Amino acid sequence: MSERASFERRIDAIADIFAFTAAAFARLGAPDALRTEVDFVLEELFTNIVKYGRGEAPVAIDIVPIPDGVEVTVTEPEADRFDVTRAPQVDVTLPADQRQPGGLGLHLVGRLVDSVQYGYSQGERCSRIVFRKTSNAPLPGRDNGDGRC
Amino acid sequence: MLTMEGGGETPVVLSGRLDATQAGAVQAYLDRLDGVVTLDCRDLQYLSSAGLGVLLKTHKRLLGAGGRLRLTQVNRHLSDIFSYSGFDQILEIEPGGR
Repeated sequence: MSERASFERRIDAIADIFAFTAAAFARLGAPDALRTEVDFVLEELFTNIVKYGRGEAPVAIDIVPIPDGVEVTVTEPEADRFDVTRAPQVDVTLPADQRQPGGLGLHLVGRLVDSVQYGYSQGERCSRIVFRKTSNAPLPGRDNGDGRC
Repeated sequence: MLTMEGGGETPVVLSGRLDATQAGAVQAYLDRLDGVVTLDCRDLQYLSSAGLGVLLKTHKRLLGAGGRLRLTQVNRHLSDIFSYSGFDQILEIEPGGR
């Protein structure tokens, strides 16, 4: 059992993504308390693709139920390799006057979910990000996968 | 969907979700305000990094003119985001009941 939808690379597609997660969580019986964090991670990953991705093909999102949570896959066709789990670290201890925009979203992604994996298929030029969010104690972690599209 | 009300002598009440699609409108709204600006967040359900960017830019502008940004009635989701981003050390934040 899973839910899947594809989204055009437009910032205003975020509203459609949120509507999709709401419907998917309801249909899958996933814990609704997790949906805000899942929405957050999807927004950060999707806006990153819209801002920096050079492809035009729609971005697919798959949601699969797992014990006490969900596993979510974001598939970006026509992608260049960019491992979100190895994005530059952000110094969150800096005072306001030394803070600069950028990078914070991906930093927060790693803090809000149980695990994040990145895979890239060179032949298909396709990237795949898989993250898990459960209602268990948070286990911030970053794993590199070797996923294929 | 996000709505904004108030400002000046009264807190700015943010209701809804502050995501990347709403950040520009919120920034424009807050750019009109000076001094100590209070955001009432009791009905702000969601905040992404785009929203954090708005808050940081506004706070820095206000600080430069002797003011600041303060947030009240912050829910658990927002508190987590502020904690993980270090914004809880930058902004004056008053937690809410939810």
